[in-house]
Amino acid sequence: MNLTVNGVDTTIESGPLTSLLDVLREELGITSAKAGCEQGGCGACTVLVNGASRRSCLTPVASIDGAAVTTVEGLGSPEHMSPVQQAFTHHYAAQCGFCTSGMMMAAQAYIEGGGSDDHEAIQEALGGHVCRCTGYVKIIDAVAAVARGESFDLSVTAAGTAMTNIGGMA
Amino acid sequence: MKAVGARVPRYDGIAHATGRTVFVDDVRIPGTLWVKAFRSPVHNAMMTNLDTSKAEAMKGVHVITSESVPLLEYGHLSALGIPADEPLLAKDEVRYLGQPIAVVAAPSEEAAMAAVAAITADFEEQPALFDVRKAFDADAPVIHDKGNWYTHFEDEMDRRQIRKGNIEEAFDRADLIVQGVYRPAAIEHAPIETQVCQVVPEANGRLTIYSCTQALYFSMGVVAAHLQLPLNKLKVVGGTVGGGFGGKVDTATETMCALLAQKSGKPVKWRWTREEEFLCSSTRAPWHMEVADAVTKDGWILGRKMLTLHDAGAYSRFSPYGLTKHSFHHTGAYSIPNLEFNGYVVYTNRTPTTAMRGFGVTSVSFATETHMSRIALELGIDPFELRLKNANRIGDTSPNQIPYTDPSTVPTILAIADAVGHDLTPEYAGMTPAPRSGDLLPEHLVGQLGNPEAH
Repeated sequence: MNLTVNGVDTTIESGPLTSLLDVLREELGITSAKAGCEQGGCGACTVLVNGASRRSCLTPVASIDGAAVTTVEGLGSPEHMSPVQQAFTHHYAAQCGFCTSGMMMAAQAYIEGGGSDDHEAIQEALGGHVCRCTGYVKIIDAVAAVARGESFDLSVTAAGTAMTNIGGMA
Repeated sequence: MKAVGARVPRYDGIAHATGRTVFVDDVRIPGTLWVKAFRSPVHNAMMTNLDTSKAEAMKGVHVITSESVPLLEYGHLSALGIPADEPLLAKDEVRYLGQPIAVVAAPSEEAAMAAVAAITADFEEQPALFDVRKAFDADAPVIHDKGNWYTHFEDEMDRRQIRKGNIEEAFDRADLIVQGVYRPAAIEHAPIETQVCQVVPEANGRLTIYSCTQALYFSMGVVAAHLQLPLNKLKVVGGTVGGGFGGKVDTATETMCALLAQKSGKPVKWRWTREEEFLCSSTRAPWHMEVADAVTKDGWILGRKMLTLHDAGAYSRFSPYGLTKHSFHHTGAYSIPNLEFNGYVVYTNRTPTTAMRGFGVTSVSFATETHMSRIALELGIDPFELRLKNANRIGDTSPNQIPYTDPSTVPTILAIADAVGHDLTPEYAGMTPAPRSGDLLPEHLVGQLGNPEAH
């Protein structure tokens, strides 16, 4: 079997019923997708398969032979973060970080699909993703900011000058 | 004060956003064995004929049981001199569904599951206890030989008790006794990262332990004690926790993984399934709280009697500490001069309970705040004004007689009233935490005053 993973053509050695999650994590060493429940309930393993968000834990790798798979590693790097990555950083949308990869991939699919900054639409798009830390507000604010095409200044500011644009406080 | 008011990036923010954060499950050590547990299938039973021989005969499989542990019982509070009551692995007796009995390490997850399936034991099931209210009955199931509640508070008392003032006089003088019973349920922390640990035996004889613990030094001490090793034989790598909320304070996996790494000489990893996380990991305790307050018609609380039953589950772990915090907060944010508090850490056949966000205090805050509203309703008094009248002020004393130096009750309640648009009379709207005087220092509150300067 073959997959194009983050733009790289890759031959897959794992068995056909191996989950895409295990292929990514155990065979390829790509660890951003997380094993939160391994039954499709938490969303932490979400990746893009041909541009659509998919639960990698419920996807036998044989069912997507030849597909293009994108993980967070494929969105951008610390030096060149994608808009979704910048927004999650700027809005403090990641707390412990464990749900963040799956959350960002769902957000990426939502943005690529032309999603708006409507909070209810974003909630619907992220509905299958569980976060136990943030209460979701900052995550939704981050996605809305990307939908509005905002740019993000990630630099440190001086005391007392920049608390106005932090998620959830507006 | 460079950080206050500044926009400060999270030190791990960019790593989280780029998938570079290395959680325990992301640590890659070639040749790592998978770990799985043989767990109690029943709530309460005597166990005989534990047989791990078939599992041990499997290729590449290593098994540990209670026999493998140098010091089987070591409590999370043992370092404070509190006796242990929990074996690392069950021996002869199981006290909760899912209690670990034997733990295996095998070359793959499938092999580990097959090894667990090959382990057998006989269980003579006994009636189980789930309701703390029944723990004191003469015919209640016996959870521990020494009884159904913890008996090691100071001077080997069997309860956490607080006495302040003259409770009988307060109840004699009351216009009304307001009673309530409050029973918040257990809550599973449900972190998205389940319990996980990787242990690597190093060439120099040390064990490197990658742990999701919230309490690294606690875990280090617990592992060292069970293994009877000096601390310098352990290198614990922590600090990256995929959600904990108190549920990763207990040392759930590290000790057993360390024993398996020692036994096999190979790196081992244990990642709990979501099912294990829900069924076997600790929860927030369920609590049973009974409150009776002696109140006056004009809204003073003269005295409080309270009984708390803290459901520890099968073992005490940190519960005595949680109940102690609970007792110190049992008047909430209010000054009540006459107190009689009795709290028990009660054993049941539930999964052992532990810390969760405001350990011991959220439960009592729920009870006391609900009770304040109940008093206000029964007296026909504005619930904000009742709270402001009885609010802690500078110089008031806590249940354990610590003088308050900077109590925030008054400004907090005023802010809440403002936020919800609740109108207060000028007398209350202008209130401050200043020391009591005049109408706010009735005779019954004089005796409880302390000197904040002396604290």
